[in-house]
Amino acid sequence: MSTLTSSAHPHADHGHTPFLQHHFREMSQQFDAAKIGMWLFLVTEVLLFGGLFVGYGIMHARHPEAFMAAHHHLDRTLGALNTVVLLISSFTMVMSVWAAQTDRKKLLILFLLLTLMCAGVFMVVKYFEYSHKFHEGLLPGKYYSHKGDTVPGQFMFFSFYFMMTGLHGIHVLAGMVAITWLLVRAIKGHFSSEYYSPVEITGLYWHLVDLIWIYLFPLMYLIS
Amino acid sequence: MAHLNEHTHPVTPPKTYALVLLALLVLTFITVQASYIDFGPWNTVVALVIASAKGSLVALFFMHLRHDRFNAVIFVGGLLFLAIFLIWTLFDIANRQPVLPSNLKTPIQEFPGAPLNGPVRPSTGQPRGTAQ
Repeated sequence: MSTLTSSAHPHADHGHTPFLQHHFREMSQQFDAAKIGMWLFLVTEVLLFGGLFVGYGIMHARHPEAFMAAHHHLDRTLGALNTVVLLISSFTMVMSVWAAQTDRKKLLILFLLLTLMCAGVFMVVKYFEYSHKFHEGLLPGKYYSHKGDTVPGQFMFFSFYFMMTGLHGIHVLAGMVAITWLLVRAIKGHFSSEYYSPVEITGLYWHLVDLIWIYLFPLMYLIS
Repeated sequence: MAHLNEHTHPVTPPKTYALVLLALLVLTFITVQASYIDFGPWNTVVALVIASAKGSLVALFFMHLRHDRFNAVIFVGGLLFLAIFLIWTLFDIANRQPVLPSNLKTPIQEFPGAPLNGPVRPSTGQPRGTAQ
């Protein structure tokens, strides 16, 4: 993961790239180690969001009418649009991994840029959704000030809505930072079929963010 | 897990990725359409099944779990614990009766305007008879 270039190490027979850390025997071992580390982190992410999903499940089971009524304040079209945007970004991310694997530097840069753009679109749509909610007073917990509800308790839905989509949005922002870092390194020409661990690993993270949204979308927007 | 020889990471052709994306978009369309159909108590189940199909595609193809048995075990292990967490919690929720402390004679109201330990009729916001 670190970009330190190790000094010339004794194993000259497979020292093709300066990116092999001295404590690894060869590039594929370094790649596998990094990948296992990332997957372990992703499992912790699954459990982090999982706790919120369980809370959502409990409250949804206890107050079905309140959740039902509250979700009508969400715009399905925007939710679906964001789902499509995020799925496309996952595709462009995996294509940038492919471009790195096949030594296509220009395409790698292009696909990373496209991924970044999709993430940006996602966040802009989120901004419009959130500002609409703030304007309507559809805020979490005690800040809920929407008038004229026939069904009480809708603030609970918005507590989960903001907590879950907000945490997810923070993950998207973090992903954008990571992809920008990849972009800088790609332009510098660091990546090749020999060394593309950071692209693969950022890709894994990005797909997990996509995966979480795949579950968030029906649960938040499509209650029926 | 450990590949002792290099280049054991097969390169998937872009066409495969494009087909997976197409499948994901089709499934997204289906899940939106399905939300307009009333399956009764199965609504959430249908939504979650479609979401899981999409999630599997992402994990298998985009996250390369097809060629990565070791990490697949790690990931599925995590999902297994999440499933235990969720399902056992829902067992509890599904079989709960309102229980009041012995020194309390009136039902608890969870928040202003809430039903007294029972569901609400959406039109009026009033309790619908007794709790399930």
